[in-house]
Amino acid sequence: MRESNAPTRAVSEVTERLFRQESGRLVATLTRLFGVERLGLAEDVVQDALIRALTTWPFHGVPDNPAAWITQTAKNLALDVVRRDANFRTKEAEIAAGLERMAADAEAGARDASEHDIRDDRLRMMFACCHPVIAEELQVALALKTLCGFSASEIARAFLTNDATIAKRLTRAKHRIREAGVAFEIPAGDELDARLDAVLHTLYLLFNEGYKASSGDSLVRAELCHEAIRLATLLAGHPAGDQPRTHALLALMLLNAARLSARADVDGTLLRLQDQDRSRWDGAVIARGMMHLARSAAGAELSNLHLQAAIAACHCAAPDYASTDWPRILGLYDRLVELDPSPVVALNRAVAVANVHGPQAGIDAIAAGLEGYYLYYAVLGELEARLGRLDVAAGHFRRAAGLTSLTSEQAFLTRRLQECEARAAVRSI
Amino acid sequence: MSSSLQTSEYLLLFRGAGWEKNLSPQELQTLMAQWVSWYEGLQRQGKVKGSNPLFPQGKIVSGKKGKVVADGPFAESKEAIGGYFLIEASSLDEAIEIARGWPILDVGAEVEVRPVAAACPVFFELDPSACQRLPEAAAAGARV
Repeated sequence: MRESNAPTRAVSEVTERLFRQESGRLVATLTRLFGVERLGLAEDVVQDALIRALTTWPFHGVPDNPAAWITQTAKNLALDVVRRDANFRTKEAEIAAGLERMAADAEAGARDASEHDIRDDRLRMMFACCHPVIAEELQVALALKTLCGFSASEIARAFLTNDATIAKRLTRAKHRIREAGVAFEIPAGDELDARLDAVLHTLYLLFNEGYKASSGDSLVRAELCHEAIRLATLLAGHPAGDQPRTHALLALMLLNAARLSARADVDGTLLRLQDQDRSRWDGAVIARGMMHLARSAAGAELSNLHLQAAIAACHCAAPDYASTDWPRILGLYDRLVELDPSPVVALNRAVAVANVHGPQAGIDAIAAGLEGYYLYYAVLGELEARLGRLDVAAGHFRRAAGLTSLTSEQAFLTRRLQECEARAAVRSI
Repeated sequence: MSSSLQTSEYLLLFRGAGWEKNLSPQELQTLMAQWVSWYEGLQRQGKVKGSNPLFPQGKIVSGKKGKVVADGPFAESKEAIGGYFLIEASSLDEAIEIARGWPILDVGAEVEVRPVAAACPVFFELDPSACQRLPEAAAAGARV
């Protein structure tokens, strides 16, 4: 029995994301040991180990090395599973040896060799989840589940969909992995290039899902950004992923994430770039982003990731809105439009055009094809307001507000609408 | 009714299974942290006399001379007990109040509150007034 006055490790010392992170690490290693076709089993074992922690620690106190405790428990549970399951008969000894090693490594702490093994397993998992035989939406869900330790309902909250839809996607993704015989390995040689692009693309989607303010639970979204950065950092630190475009992606994420907390006011209403308190931008994250931006320039390659990162860097480098280097930003958008001639890029470029050549030039630069997109009307509203055409601007803000369901955006657009109407009223007196 | 119980010790039996199945790692960690903090708070107030988790596997022995040994209670049943706390409380009401703070209630588990019969049952025979209270005392278990 636990003595009522026994000293325990304070629960506050447990790392904020310990369970999630251990989940990602252990699922990856157990998947290597069990075989990628038994991914679901690896997930079940890890889930059971975490439940054991929940139902034991309150009684005995948080162990000195919580991560090692979870690993050891997962090892024991995995051994039980392997001994019971006839499918593992021929591989039992090999898996048992692997489990021993896993537990010993966790006990020893962050030794270089073991850290490398764990990192490699997570990279294998990344390449497996992002395999081109799996549809994009399935890849993102699977990466969040296996690598980041999100539950189906957390993923559903981030994507504004229901649990059943995500559960179905996860099942289909695992089915595809088995069916297509996806290997659990870090690709090499000619294959690496294309496979790395697929991973970068998924991480980009993951980050964007978190970054865009137009959907889902805000806490979960911040976690998505954090996870995308964590995975990209892991990738950039491995020889297979240490490519200029990986650093460009990481720079892009960091330079945007650094400004996340300043994007809304205390009431959660969105703030325009010119209205943000730049002292709330995270200087340390910006510095990291700039470092990766420099490393992204190591080759001759200029991807759209490079350009987007460079644009974000321009904003981060400006001490205030007035000193923003708009001509440089416009130059970057000009090149980005060549690589990616989508209406969304054109809309963003139009803002830069307006800041260099005036609002009318900006309006002229907006391409057709975004009539269902609230930002299309929001940008038009801003530019019309700058031209003093307040009634037209008000109409655009009204339409924009009707196209978004997010409170923070609606609050912002409604405020802009009211400002326009008030200014118009003053003028008519 | 609780003030009449001749005890200051209560057993909190944590019941239920399956509530943890669909929780995410983050949710499990949050619940763990809340549960540990709750426990530590009680400890600081000197309310906790002991506690233990229980393994889910167990046997039920029954029949004359224990002839029948069956599996159970089943770990997945709603009745399954996952652990217990022995606490100090001045009344059943206070014990119930303490039990209400168990964070796992929010995800569908139950806690059974049982007064520990501190006195020998003979006590009741010697004290007729206590005797009258006996049915109450016997029925004084509570579930939160």
